[in-house]
Amino acid sequence: MLQVENLTKLYAAEDSGGIRNIAFEVATGEFYTLLGPSGCGKTTTLRSVAGLEEPSNGRVTLEDRIIFDFDRGVFVPANQRRLGMVFQSYAVWPHMSVFDNTAFPLRMARDRRWSKTDVQRRVMRTLETMGLAALAGRSAAQLSGGQQQRLALARALVGEPRLLLLDEPLSNLDALLREQMRTELRRLQKEVGVTAIYVTHDQSEALALSDRIAVMHNGAIVQIGLPRQIYDQPCNAFVATFIGRSNLLRGKLLERDQQHARIATALGPILCKISHSAADRLPGAALIRPEHVVLKRPDDRAGDGAVNRFRGRIVQVAFLGEATECVVQVGDVVILVRGATDQYDAADEVDVFFPPERTSAITEDA
Amino acid sequence: MGVRPGSRRVFALRRVPLKVIGLIALFSAGIIPPFIFLIYSSLHQLDSSGAFGALTAANFATVFNDRALATTLINSMLYPLGAALVALTVGGVQAWLAERTDAKFRQILYVAAIISLGIPYVLYIVAWLLLLSKAGPVNAILQHLLGGAGPYINVYSLGGMIFIEGMLWSPLAFLLLSPVFRNSDASFEEAASICGAGVFSTLRHITIGMVRPALLAFGLLAFIKASEAFEVPALVGLPGSRRVLTSTIYQTLTLNIPPDTGSASAFGVLLLIVMAVLLHIYNRVAARTWRYQTVTGKGFRPRVVRLGRWRYAAGALIVAIPLVVIVLPLATILWAALLPYYQPFSIAALPKLGVANFVQVLHSRSFQASIVNTLLLGACAATVVTALSVVAGWCVARRMRGGAVLDTLAALPLVFPAIVLGLAFLQIFVHGGTHIYGTLLSLIIASTVAYMPYGLRYAQLGVIQIHPELEEAAAIAGARQGTAFFQIVLPLLVPAMISCWLFVFLIAVRAVSLMLLLVGPDSQIVAVTLFDFWNNGQVGELAALGCVWTAIMTVFSVAFLVLARRYQLPLS
Repeated sequence: MLQVENLTKLYAAEDSGGIRNIAFEVATGEFYTLLGPSGCGKTTTLRSVAGLEEPSNGRVTLEDRIIFDFDRGVFVPANQRRLGMVFQSYAVWPHMSVFDNTAFPLRMARDRRWSKTDVQRRVMRTLETMGLAALAGRSAAQLSGGQQQRLALARALVGEPRLLLLDEPLSNLDALLREQMRTELRRLQKEVGVTAIYVTHDQSEALALSDRIAVMHNGAIVQIGLPRQIYDQPCNAFVATFIGRSNLLRGKLLERDQQHARIATALGPILCKISHSAADRLPGAALIRPEHVVLKRPDDRAGDGAVNRFRGRIVQVAFLGEATECVVQVGDVVILVRGATDQYDAADEVDVFFPPERTSAITEDA
Repeated sequence: MGVRPGSRRVFALRRVPLKVIGLIALFSAGIIPPFIFLIYSSLHQLDSSGAFGALTAANFATVFNDRALATTLINSMLYPLGAALVALTVGGVQAWLAERTDAKFRQILYVAAIISLGIPYVLYIVAWLLLLSKAGPVNAILQHLLGGAGPYINVYSLGGMIFIEGMLWSPLAFLLLSPVFRNSDASFEEAASICGAGVFSTLRHITIGMVRPALLAFGLLAFIKASEAFEVPALVGLPGSRRVLTSTIYQTLTLNIPPDTGSASAFGVLLLIVMAVLLHIYNRVAARTWRYQTVTGKGFRPRVVRLGRWRYAAGALIVAIPLVVIVLPLATILWAALLPYYQPFSIAALPKLGVANFVQVLHSRSFQASIVNTLLLGACAATVVTALSVVAGWCVARRMRGGAVLDTLAALPLVFPAIVLGLAFLQIFVHGGTHIYGTLLSLIIASTVAYMPYGLRYAQLGVIQIHPELEEAAAIAGARQGTAFFQIVLPLLVPAMISCWLFVFLIAVRAVSLMLLLVGPDSQIVAVTLFDFWNNGQVGELAALGCVWTAIMTVFSVAFLVLARRYQLPLS
């Protein structure tokens, strides 16, 4: 539905979010997320798709129509792309009422003249979906943060856009509201059936909402995949540490076959499964998520051999409500363990065990 | 395609947009001719018919053969320096008292400063001349206290010029400095007091240190403004033969018949170069000052210094400063307006008081005309400047292609001291092939060019406060750029536009220097009328007209204050 090829945008200041050779495709109805730390170029990418930035190279195709092609000098301006966008600041017009804000895209429509009653009907229907119908006559300046957010969404959806662009729409809400809106956003998107591109730096948001995620770093896409793929099989150390909490043990590859690799780390050799995305490159680090580390009493020798098992001492136990987390010092390395660790106390001597099928060999960097 | 800094252009603009080209053309038409005519006339003789003749260097020879040139240049340094120091001290003390202490009666300072914005320069200067003259009340009191013969103060001196110019600028210095004191973050000061510093050592080491860049910047600004000031050098300096560059230009024009516009232009070019250098320095200093500007976040509150017992002493100071700066001069003017012919304040003169001057002023057709002309001039100039600067400010603030050129062009008039710009426009209107010399239209054109830089700053600040995403949202919604401007930007700019209008109006009608050389018999304006009255010795009429005019202006300046406060707009 949307194809982005070779998209490049350079700025004079090099650290200010330029992008190089960005390429991805979004399928119809998909909820697609651009995820990355600030300055990685995700917003620049989104704004280039929107037509708010003029890229220095590349091509963007929307529904088989080229909307930007640098080589052919094609640039369809933002106001002719028929998109919907929710801005980080919501960009709700404070001098207009809720109704007028929502009606604006209909009044500006070029492909169709909307009669007054049609506008009225369509706007009120959209406002009802958003739970804002009762506030239609109110000035937009009087709305709360959450209401402004829903108004921005109503305005973005009212014209039935071909593509909905969301630029960190939840980042200005407080934690509780953010969680609520997150669920609602997902529900609405599926209900309306609109294709959406979502930009965020919040990995938990990305994992919860997306059909697919493109992880960005330093102006380039490093990995594209389903949320579970990104989490379970990060392609490199950046993705592994950026998404979720992780124990990353850097080292050197000792030996490998198709499925497994042995990596020499500060703890000793670690047997890992070769991550899908690192298949054709040389892995140099072992990654294991805190919830996959297994703790054992030193005298508990049941079930396994000595592989991936190391002696350490618990430094700290933290009760987090739904889980317990403990920090284990193994030699010079600190290992984070999450899960059923209730029976352990600080200063206990324990063994940490990394199940090989849960431990991934990944590359140091892209 | 070049690499450009992070621009936020909503609409695809590979080329310079048409509106920017139009504005560039318009601004060029306004500001390039004054340069050309001034330089041209400085390099050409006038023939007997008054038209430009042969190329000559004689005008510059006149300038550099002037025996008094060295003294004039020294005066041109000392006078603005002294005036800037006086203005900064008086204004800075007020700003600190009003913003960072719990002194009594702080609000009085704002009211007084705002009222002062409406008082014409000439009127204010005349008030001080009356107060400080040989026979004036101040000398009389000093003589009474100290005995002896002579007058103790000679106001027609460098000291007198410095004092009056400093007083003239102190309200503005206060208005400009108070946000600086208000916005300096208290946590630095709190950190100092936790380290054991007391109130006064905190003030000395931390507060002054934090506002020093701003003090320096505004000091420079006051220096520049005093360098190009004309009213004080003309009314105070010339009678005492203390010449500076601006008054020399005026004298060169008025002492010779026919006026020696060539030499005056040569002096003008000299002054232009001085101004360009000063403004360049100022821009660098001001740019560095931004680094110190503290961002006010949530829960920000400036700490107020508790003065304790000193609270009432500070309160007395707060009452005393406006008393000297505003009330005393205005009272003197009122006194002069009520007398048939001027005499210093005395009990004996009380029976002579009457409203004859007011009756005359309010009934005279020519005074009525000059009041109407002035209001018209101010309103037209303010309207044109506001309209142009809203569009131009938007183009500049949104970094459209060509916006930087526009910005530079619109700022160019700042290098012209008003009297020099007046001289340049005089020659444009006389030699430029138009027949508008002496008309109100010519005054409106000159004012529009002169005050465009101020309008543009206002509009730009206004646009910057509007988040670019508001416009981008309109673009995404399908709006054309023009639609986005009229439906989104303009409605949100209304408060900035109104206060821009009022500001330009107030400064356009206040000064005499730009208009003095341009007015004709049918386009008399209040400031010039006041100037002529003083030169003719008609103190009573001057004072009466001044009172009426100040009353009218106070309405405008109070409206300005209310708006500026409500929308938190900068005062300059």
